Amino acid sequence: MSYDWEGFVNLIVLLLEGAKVSVMVFFLTLFFAIPLGLLVAFGRMSRFRLISGPIKIYILLMRGTPLILQIALVYFGPYYLLPEGMKINLDRFVAAVAACTLNYAAYFAEIYRGGIQSIPKGQYEAAAVPGFSKIQTFMHIILPQVVKRILPPMGNEIITLVKDTALVQTIGISELFRVATVQASAKSSTIPLAAAGIFYLIMNWVVTEALQMAENKLNYYR
Amino acid sequence: MVMLEVKGLCKSFDSNRVLNDISFKVDKGEVVAIIGPSGSGKSTLLRCLTLLEKVDQGTIIVAGDVMVQTNKEGHAVYAPESSLKKIRLRMGMVFQDFNLFPHFSVLRNITEAPVRVARISQDQAEERAMELLRKMGLEDKRDAYPYQLSGGQSQRVAIARALAMNPDILFFDEPTSALDPELTGEVLRVMRALAAERMTMVVVTHEMGFAREVADRVIFMDKGQIVEEGRPEVVLCNPSSERTRAFIKGLSEH
Ligand SMILES: Nc1ncnc2c1ncn2[C@@H]1O[C@H](COP(=O)(O)OP(=O)(O)OP(=O)(O)O)[C@@H](O)[C@H]1O
Ligand SMILES: [Mg+2]
Repeated sequence: MSYDWEGFVNLIVLLLEGAKVSVMVFFLTLFFAIPLGLLVAFGRMSRFRLISGPIKIYILLMRGTPLILQIALVYFGPYYLLPEGMKINLDRFVAAVAACTLNYAAYFAEIYRGGIQSIPKGQYEAAAVPGFSKIQTFMHIILPQVVKRILPPMGNEIITLVKDTALVQTIGISELFRVATVQASAKSSTIPLAAAGIFYLIMNWVVTEALQMAENKLNYYR
Repeated sequence: MVMLEVKGLCKSFDSNRVLNDISFKVDKGEVVAIIGPSGSGKSTLLRCLTLLEKVDQGTIIVAGDVMVQTNKEGHAVYAPESSLKKIRLRMGMVFQDFNLFPHFSVLRNITEAPVRVARISQDQAEERAMELLRKMGLEDKRDAYPYQLSGGQSQRVAIARALAMNPDILFFDEPTSALDPELTGEVLRVMRALAAERMTMVVVTHEMGFAREVADRVIFMDKGQIVEEGRPEVVLCNPSSERTRAFIKGLSEH
């Protein structure tokens, strides 16, 4: 008996389609969460309690509850919460990206905040005396130094995000892991699961290399 | 010409009065050394003069332009931001721990403010920066990064950075205190050269030798007040106040 190569090629094609969805969730989440996190970080550091208070609660909720629950809530929540007649059905994919963005922005915000607060006060003062504006100071003096400092913890989060994309299957999105489990039970085989594992590994290997390159690029100073 | 005029300056942190009715003047080309025990308010004074800290009361006038004044109710009223911007361009500050920008090369540390704030062309700024680096004896360090410099070199770059904005008055807050003793000389030498060029300078320092040789005037501060002020040989060698005498005696005992 020869191995079912055709079935194997089919499996890979299916997994690739699932991986495409995972990768899209991944990139869109990063695309929105990286800037949103900065806004959240500023809100968290605001002198005004009216801003920092709610932001603190938001961060607590996002970090204190499971992402899988947040994904379900963002998807199903509007339907149940809105009054009769105004009910909308959020697109699954939009809901998934929105939930992941909200969740990751909270984590990113805390990393940014740590990074921003680790920059010595003297840097701000050395910029203020010759008259750099607040925005110039942040963009040209502070932020570049923050980026270097937060790269390692951001790397951790980004690698976790690759794996967390699997959670969006909870609202019926056929991402990589979903495809793999469906195939595994249809074929009564663990090969699809192992193959999915390899896919995740490859994605994170690429992410790790990219992060390493970024770190090397910023290694020109200490 | 009066370069800096300070009248009745008061500053508190919460209920802690750190500066109490400080008044003095600095003429163009004058070098004024400020000495005094730790916590007497020397840094706070410089920070108020360079707009890093806001005063509660008092008047500060820089080269004829009013930075802050006290109104009838006794509150400090600052000039509008547009005037403050102009005033900032006239002042430079050298910090105890340099505060160089670690992600910029030496050259960029010096050109960044001229290019971004004073809007001087990149070429012109670089030319001026090289001129200053030459003067500091650091032309070979133009492409180095701050982490590659010794403390003395760092401080000389910081001085060049401050000079690049062509300030009318330069403030120094203990510029040699973070340096190993063998490195203070190279920084003091540069400051002496500036003094010889009649750069107006206000220097907070523990270097009594420098104060004696270079300063035109010494101000002794204690507990937020100016206790004594005068020629260095008088204040340092023959002070009239008991507090000054005790401070100077304490210094020479180490
Ligand atoms: N941001 C601040 N908030 C509260 N108190 C402050 C602040 N900055 C300075 N002080 C207080 O003001 C007083 C004067 O401090 P300052 O740093 O001006 O003294 P100094 O004369 O420069 O001392 P040193 O020789 O140690 O540098 C100190 O009692 C200090 O604790
Ligand atoms: Mg001080």
